[in-house]
This record gives sequence, structure tokens and C-alpha cells, in this order.
Amino acid sequence: MWGYVRLELTRALRDGGYVIFGIVMPVVMYLVFTNLGLAPGDKHDAAIYTMVSMAAYGALGGAFNNGSGIAEDRAAGWLRQLRLTPLTPAEVVAGKVVTGAVAVVPSIAAVLLAGVLVNHVSLPPQRWLVIIALLWAGTVPFSLLGLGNGYRLSGQSAAMANIATMLTLSILGGLWVPVEKFPSWLAAIAEWTPSNSYAGLSWRIAFGDVPTLRQVVLLSAWLLVFGVYAVYGYRRAGRRA
Amino acid sequence: MTTNTADAVSLTSATKRFGPVRAVDELTLAIPRGQTVALLGPNGAGKSTTIALLLGLLPPDSGRASLFGLDPEQAVRQGLAGAMPQEGGLVPRVTVRELLTFVSGTYPAPLPLDRVLTLARIDDLRDRRVDRLSGGQAQRVRFAMAVCGDPDLIVLDEPTAALDVEARREFWDGMRGLASQGKTILFSTHYLDEADEHADRVVVLGHGRVIADGTSAEIKRAAALTTVSVAADGESAWLATLPGVRHMEIRGGRVHLRTGDSDATVMALARADAIRDLEVAPADLEDAFVALTTKENV
Repeated sequence: MWGYVRLELTRALRDGGYVIFGIVMPVVMYLVFTNLGLAPGDKHDAAIYTMVSMAAYGALGGAFNNGSGIAEDRAAGWLRQLRLTPLTPAEVVAGKVVTGAVAVVPSIAAVLLAGVLVNHVSLPPQRWLVIIALLWAGTVPFSLLGLGNGYRLSGQSAAMANIATMLTLSILGGLWVPVEKFPSWLAAIAEWTPSNSYAGLSWRIAFGDVPTLRQVVLLSAWLLVFGVYAVYGYRRAGRRA
Repeated sequence: MTTNTADAVSLTSATKRFGPVRAVDELTLAIPRGQTVALLGPNGAGKSTTIALLLGLLPPDSGRASLFGLDPEQAVRQGLAGAMPQEGGLVPRVTVRELLTFVSGTYPAPLPLDRVLTLARIDDLRDRRVDRLSGGQAQRVRFAMAVCGDPDLIVLDEPTAALDVEARREFWDGMRGLASQGKTILFSTHYLDEADEHADRVVVLGHGRVIADGTSAEIKRAAALTTVSVAADGESAWLATLPGVRHMEIRGGRVHLRTGDSDATVMALARADAIRDLEVAPADLEDAFVALTTKENV
């Protein structure tokens, strides 16, 4: 299975979509937002807040891109070829999930590094550790949603659906513009999105608070929903294989 | 070496339907170890579905498939089989070497990479990205994926479809090497000459059933169709009713009669004073194939 993960990671690094949406764009947007005075309030606070937002946005890009890859693999006959090797289907699915989990790391790391090196963000070490862990583990629901789309839709439409979902969730979840700037009706919707809960966990930690129960419950509920969706997509794909 | 002596491939009354179509219909086929078998048939005869059933890619609706006495999926898990589907299987953004290293790594006792590259004649392509290969090059890489794990059974679905004449010849040279190592090889084709030249045994499929099974010589004999032809001269429909004639075709100003008894047909032509520029050609596999599959349609 590790050979499979290695192959998939090699492929991800050569994938322009992943590098641009998952790594380059979030870093560029982060630096633009924070250094053109577009972010509100205290400069250091803004650098922290936006750092979490953009790391979350990049992680979403990485997670959804991994899902789009599934549709591409199916169209190329690669999933069938894998079934003709001694790898078990469970190893293939697990390998893809691990790949997704590893693929979000550079996205998160790139923005956090930009925060430290360019915007001189400083936080106590334990806060860094918790933020990194939450940003990383919190991508699982999005990976599952991306995989669900990848299994359910054909190559091109899966990629489109995943990019659209990723952008919608990023904007609606307040990753680009803080929810406080939204009109009240939009803010009311934003508070129910998984992306808002996901980034919210780390926003609270970054400013020395404890995540709210609502954020944890909401993200867990979305995890369940997207998990069921991914399993449904996988079963459907299996029937057509 | 395994001690079990079960057939390499066994299908027992296997049936697979797609909607109202029986793609594979009560098909029974056993291939002992070490045989090279050609699966021959026109498009839609059920070749690819048969291959999908025996590799465990599709479950049969009824009947049974096994490889080396094991459930096909189990045999594939153990690395006993390697296969090349008719198309696809090349994943973008990796090099030939990366791809083959990965596939080899999933098998318990793969061939060394250099052997595989030589066997598939892709030494010079090792660092090329697989999404930048020509059709023929891609085909050779797909073949390399099927054999790199050194499996006992190699299944190839139309392996030479994208190859030119020279590449086909080289491909079969490589296959002969594998066959001489005792590998069991099953390949599908609609090139009759390939089945004739490279297989120990030819299995002809039509409408999802085995309609002939034997050496190519046996199949030609079973179909026993010699072609008797004479120059067309006026009304010739009556020639189809001559003794032995099974099939008549008029082309190129000649009447071609496929006959099961060429002596009787020629005698009858002589009696009717209809011999004009007579030619008698022995059966070839093409004729046998056409005869077998058209008989099936009647």
C-alpha cells in the first residue's frame, strides 16, 4: 500500500491543479490580504486570523483535488488495472485516503510558514501544535466529500463539482472574507457550513480560546453526512466497474 | 512452484447478462497449465466479458470461474495472474519506470525491472511520462504491467490491436519466450493469422458460446470448407444448390463456393458444364471462422 501512496503523491506534486489551488493560491492570497491592509483590525491579529483562513482554504483545495483524482483514475481505467494487481480494494481506498491526508500537509505548511517568515506571526508552541493538528484532522470530512464526488461523477464533471464546492465552502465559510462582514442573512447560512466550523476551531485556538461545542458537533455531523455520501458513491462506482 | 495441479483457467457454465443480452452464455472452458490459447471471435462475441469473468472483474450471473483452483480474486491477490485489458490502465503524470516499479512492488516475486523493460522493448522509454507515449508505446507499457509481476497466467485482451506489423512480430517473439518458460497464456484477437501461428489451441466464440475449440488445424478441418470458384457466367444462383455447397458469394466477377465436399461440387460443376477458369483453394482459418460464425447466425 505504501508503494501506492508514494505513486499517488508523486502524481499529486506533478498536478498543476493541486499545486496552484492547494499551495500557490492560498499563500499568494494570504500575502495580498494581509499586506495590502485588506484585513480588518490589528495587523498582527489580522495576520494570524487570515493565516488560519488561508491554511484552511489551501487544505480544502488539497482535499478536494484528491477526490477529483479518483474520477480521473476511473476514466483512465486505472482503478480496473489496480484490481488486476495483488492490491486489495481496501488497500486501494485506504491508500487514497492516506494520500489525501498527506497531500493537505504542504498546503497547510506553506501558509503557516508564510505567516511566520513574512508576517512574523508568533504564537505559543502549544497553540501552533493544536492549530496544525486541527487544520490537518479537520480535512477528513472534505476529503470524503471530494472522494464521494470523484466516485459518483465522471472525470470532467467531478473536477468541476469539486472546484465549485471548494470555492463555495471557502467563501461561504468565511475563509476569504470574515463572516462578520457578511450581511446577516448570509452570516446565518455561513454558521452552518462545515468550512466555518473547521476554520473556527483553529481561529478560537489561535486567539487563546477553546473551540465551541457547536463547532465540534457541527463538523462531526458533516463528517457523518459526507462519510455516508462517500460510501454511497463508492458502491455506485463499484457496480459500474 | 505451487503443488496444486488445477487448471490455470476454468469457467463452468458461466453466464453473464447485460440487460436482455447474454454476453456470455453457459460458457465452459478449461485451460491446463502451460497452454497458449487464442480466444477468437468477432466484436460482440463475448471475448472481453469472458476475460472479465475469469479475472474476477465481473461476477458471473450463474456458473463459476476459477484460476488455479482458486476464486479469481484470490488468485489475483496471490499474484498468480497478470492481465492487460483491451484499453486503459495507464495513469497520467508518472514515468514508465515509476509505474512499473509500483506494479512490480505489489507482487510477491516480480521480475527485475531491467528484464521487464527488455521483454516489452521499452528500455529507451523508462524515463518518459506515460501520458506522452504513442499508441504503440503505450501498448507495450501496458503489456509490461501485465508481465512484470512474473505471474503464472498472463491474460491479454487484443494485445496487438495498436501495433504495426513490425511491432506485432516483435511482440510475438517476446510471447514465445514466456510460453517456453511454461507460462499459461490466454489472448483474445480477431487477427486470425495470430491465432493460427501463435496459439497451441484456438477457442472460437460466437454469441457468448464456444462454437469451436481445438488446434487451428482441427478447426479448419472441422469447418472443412474448401473454396471452389469459377468465373461468373450469367445466372448463377443455382450454383448454391450444388452438392456440398454451404455458402455462395459473387465477387470480382467470380462465384466463390464454400463447400464441405469439394470433389462432389467439382463433379457437379463438370456435369453441368459450368467449369470456367476453375480454382480450388484449401480452407484457411479465415474461411473456417466465417463459416463457423455465420452458421451461428442462421
